[in-house]
Order: sequence, then C-alpha cells, then structure tokens
Amino acid sequence: MSRVNGSNGKVPARTPPARLEAGNLVVVGVGGQGVILASNLVSQVLLDAGYDVKKSEVHGMSQRGGTVVSHVRFGPEVHSVMVEPGSADWIVAFEWEEGLRSLSYLKPNGVALVSTERRIPPAAMLDHRDQSLKYPALGEVPFGVLALDTFAVAGDAAAAVPAVAQTVLLGALSVLLPFPVEAWQASINAWVPRKALTGNLRAFERGRALAPEVRAAEVAARTAARTVESGPEVVPSASASPVAHNGAKRSRDGVAEHLLPVVRIERSWCKGCDICVAMCPEKCLVLDELDVAVFARPERCTGCQLCALLCPDLAMDVLWVPAGDLTGWLFANEEDRVRAAADPR
Amino acid sequence: MGLDVVSRTPADVSQDGAVALEARADHAPARARGGAWEGASAEKHFLRYGMMPHMLCPGCGHGIVLDSMLRALARSYETLDDVAFVAGIGCSSRVVGYVDACTLHTTHGRPLTFATGLKLARPDLEVVVVTGDGDGLSIGGNHLIHAARRNIDLTCVLFNNEIYGMTGGQLAPTTIPGAYTSTSPMGNHERPFDAARLVEAAGGTFVARAQSFRTRDFEEIFLRALDHKGFSFVEVMTDCTEYFGRTNRLGNGADLLFSQARADVAIEADLAGRPTLQEVPARPVRPVMEMGVLHESRRQTLEEAMGLVEDGS
Repeated sequence: MSRVNGSNGKVPARTPPARLEAGNLVVVGVGGQGVILASNLVSQVLLDAGYDVKKSEVHGMSQRGGTVVSHVRFGPEVHSVMVEPGSADWIVAFEWEEGLRSLSYLKPNGVALVSTERRIPPAAMLDHRDQSLKYPALGEVPFGVLALDTFAVAGDAAAAVPAVAQTVLLGALSVLLPFPVEAWQASINAWVPRKALTGNLRAFERGRALAPEVRAAEVAARTAARTVESGPEVVPSASASPVAHNGAKRSRDGVAEHLLPVVRIERSWCKGCDICVAMCPEKCLVLDELDVAVFARPERCTGCQLCALLCPDLAMDVLWVPAGDLTGWLFANEEDRVRAAADPR
Repeated sequence: MGLDVVSRTPADVSQDGAVALEARADHAPARARGGAWEGASAEKHFLRYGMMPHMLCPGCGHGIVLDSMLRALARSYETLDDVAFVAGIGCSSRVVGYVDACTLHTTHGRPLTFATGLKLARPDLEVVVVTGDGDGLSIGGNHLIHAARRNIDLTCVLFNNEIYGMTGGQLAPTTIPGAYTSTSPMGNHERPFDAARLVEAAGGTFVARAQSFRTRDFEEIFLRALDHKGFSFVEVMTDCTEYFGRTNRLGNGADLLFSQARADVAIEADLAGRPTLQEVPARPVRPVMEMGVLHESRRQTLEEAMGLVEDGS
C-alpha cells in the first residue's frame, strides 16, 4: 500500500509539532482531479488558524487533462504567491508523473505525498517512443517521497466518486501539519459538494490513519538531508514492496510501464472504408494505394481503440507491446510481414 | 484433437466417415485451431476464421455491431457452445455465419419462429435472434409481435439500416420520410415503424435502442438483454453505405457514423441542442430518436407458463 524510500521501517515516537512559523505547499495534478478544491481546502484550514495565506494556481490546460499546479504559501505575512524551486516543505501530487515532475520544488528535507495514479496526457504520448520522457521508477525516487496507491487506501470511500480517492493525500498531509482534525473536517464541510461529503470525510480518515508511514517519510527525508550534507554514503533502497510497485504500474487500462500502443491490421480483411482514418483523433492511420489501412504514424497513437471498436471488417486490434522495433507487430498476417520487410517504406 | 483432424487431407476424411463427423462436431474455438492472430482481442476467437473476411460492404455498420456483440459475449462466455444464434434472410442475418456458435440460418422473416421452437426444445440454451428491418418488421412483422406477446425468453437484435440492402436498396418499413430508394425515386412518403415502441406495445418486457456508432453502449445494452428473463428486443441503428448512404448522398461510412452521433438525444440529454441533418434541407432528415433502455419489466415467460423452467416471476 505504501512505501518510504530509505526508511528502515522503524517509526519514531510522536512529538507534538510546534506551531509552524511559515510554510510552502505545492499541490499538483491534472485537470479534473480536484487540485484547486484541495488547495482551497488547505488554505481554509490555514486561514482559520490565523495565518496570512496566499494561493496561486496554473490551470490553463486543465480542461484537456493538462497540468494543474497550485502554490499555497503561509506565514505571519506572505508577500509572494509563488513557491520557489527547492523551497516547498510539502508536495501533494494527485498524479504520479506530475508529482515526479514537481519534485524540483521540494526542499532537501521536504516530504512529497504522491499518488501512484497515472494519467498520461496525449501531449506526452507524442514523443514517448524515443524514451525522451523518462521518469524515475518507484525504486529510484528520492527520499521523503511517499508513494500511495490512493485508490487502494480509499477503498469503498471512493466507489461513488473516483476523485474522492485523492482526499487520502490530504489526510496524510494533515499528519504533517499541526492543526486539529476538527479544523480539517470543518474545511471539508465548507468546500466539498454535498453528494461527495461522506466519501471525502472517510477517505480523509483513511489517509490520516497512514500516520506511521507519513512520519517515517518525514524522518527519512530529514536523515537523508543530513547525510547528503555530511558525505556521499547514501544508497537508495531499491527494494520496493510489490504492492506499491503494482500501484505505480497501474494506469487506467491496467497497462504496464513502457508498453506502446500498436494497431495490428489484418490487411486481407480490410475493405478500405475509411472509417478508421476519419475517426482516429491523432490521424495515425492512412489508406495506401490499394485502399487498405496502414498504421502510418505509430508515434502519435494513444491506444484509444476507436479504430478497433469501429472497424466494420473486424480487421484491427490495438495491442500494447514493449518499446523497440515495432515492425513485427504491425501486421496480423505473415505474408504482409514478409512483404513489409522486403519493402520498408 | 482439433489440430489432428484439420491436418488430414480431404481424401483421408472421405475414406473415414467417422473422422469427417468428428471434424464437423469439433467446436474448438478459433484459438485452438490456430485461427486468430497473436495478440488478437478475445472476441476475435469467436469468429469462424475460415469464413472471414465477411461479405458486408465497405463501411457497413453491421460489421461494427457484429464486433460489439462478440465483444459483449467475450465478457461473459468462455465458449459459445451454449449460445445459439438464429437468423433469417438479409444482410443482417448473414452476420451469424461468422459467429463460431450454434447457428441457424432460417427462412425469410421466420427466425423468431425457429428460435421459439429451439428455445422450447432446449430451454438451457441462450438463444439470440439476429434479424433486420425487412426480415423482422416487414415479412416477419407478425412473428415479431407474437413473440413479444408470448414473452418467450429470447434476445432479439434487430439491425435497422432503414433500407433493403441485400436486394438492391428498396423501400423498407423503417425508411425515414423523404429518403430516396430504388423504389421511392421521388422520396419516401410513408411513415416508418418505431420498432422499439411496437414491441413494447405488443408485450415485450425488455426494449432498447442502440447505435452502431456507440459500440460500448450497445455492449452494455446487449448484455442486459441477454440477462433479462423474457422477450428482450434491441433495435440497433446501423448504416447502409452502398444503398442508403450513396442514394441519399450522405457520404461514406464515417460520415454516416457522424450523422448517427448528431441524431441521438437520449444517451446524453445535452446532445439535444446539437445540429442534426435538418440543416441540409435537400436531403432526408435523420430523425432524432430516443436511445438506451426504453422499457424493462418482468412477467411470466412462456417457458415458465409451460413448466419447462422454474417459475421465477
């Protein structure tokens, strides 16, 4: 369910956190996950605690499933709304890639709570074949990053509204901030829509129940920060618990990492009706001189399956295959494979 | 066993009648016969591989519906040994020839009567009737309403492409007003059947309408129809590209699929505000139709009344 890099599994005794002087929080995710709502909710808690709070967000592409970033700064008096790179005390990431991308904001001893949910935006798929987009695997992420399979933790709390699962991360964050649980509940009450209220409160409780793991991450981050200053003897633990690893690999279709979509075509069945060419949102398919569909631009394919679903000749299948040479996967028919190898065009 | 039999030469088979029978009785899925290609999705293994490619025209919506039906079946069945497909005559009825299940290709308009007999003889079978608008509503219209009246536990899928495709594009009882066909060169003046409402009025206990364009919705509706006890009727709107699409200058298969998307209201109510083909006055208007499950109720089925199965009503 959860794992902390570099922690030896021992959880230190609870020390009541003193009143914080100031802090920086970065909440990231993709459009529709509730990043803005979550940062509003945290800001409400901070305002109620008497801080000066400033919040700023980037959500221009959120409608298209793009990045949403929200910066929350608080203290006796806050002048700038932006969190500088390397100065965030906490990062709450609702999406795995977005979380890893935003790690540059984290202080050396900061803690990042990252959901292992993966939502790959179409733009990222455009150049994924040359592996130019390489994110660290779960075993390679820095200290202080707590990967949480939020759906597994939330369980039935998120059954009705899937977005509720991310509230688990707020529950985990509440362990690190010295505010009473009632303040958080009041804020959830004030901000969350009625229909999702019960689920949110339960997901929050389940996140808060992860206190041992969250504190272990905090301690690991502090220890690591000290060790890095004193000498290069840190070896990141690569032994990931299988549960967490599965979580990291799970995407919406249960597709594993580094698999690429390929449209496999049985050319002898295709009648060239043009439906797949017209329907493909990324324009991956064309008709060749024989009026037979060809998977011409594999690098743009997102694996949406529209072509396979709407092919009247049942001639198409979308497969997820390991990255590398794709020619062996493109044709269902041995004859076509041989012909394509003889005439690579 | 399957592979051994297939590898014999025809001469071997003719010398040994028993082997020929064995080969015919061999209902091993395509996978075991080395049919479907590597990585092919589950529904491809339910195809009679030797029959493919099918005889339907380029862009024909029936192929899409066939694929969706097989995909839905692949979600609930390992093999199709206990599923019987019964079809009449027409383009739509030809699709059962490509399904690797127990299939029955019957006389024009009478798939429901054959299916009624089959279901009463073998109530354990899941019987699916595939019929078309000409087959099921015109020559077989009486059989349709009486099957609905009896509430026999069949699943009837009616492919409505609004024309007689196989015989040369004649006027069908579902052709929309104003449409040009080979027997209505001045445009159709007749009011079409609303097949779903007809069956509901006749006593069908599960009535739904779907589109070939919305394949996932059709899958869900088809699975619900299979699960329903009683006469389940699914009217699925498909496109005839060669006769309906071309005669009425509605474009190719993709254009017709997009026109389905515009003519649909009830799957999402918000779509009601979108433009329909009414913007092009010279061409026939695709009517805005209700989609989804239109009626669902439970009453005693014919098998239950006859004591063939336990009465669960």
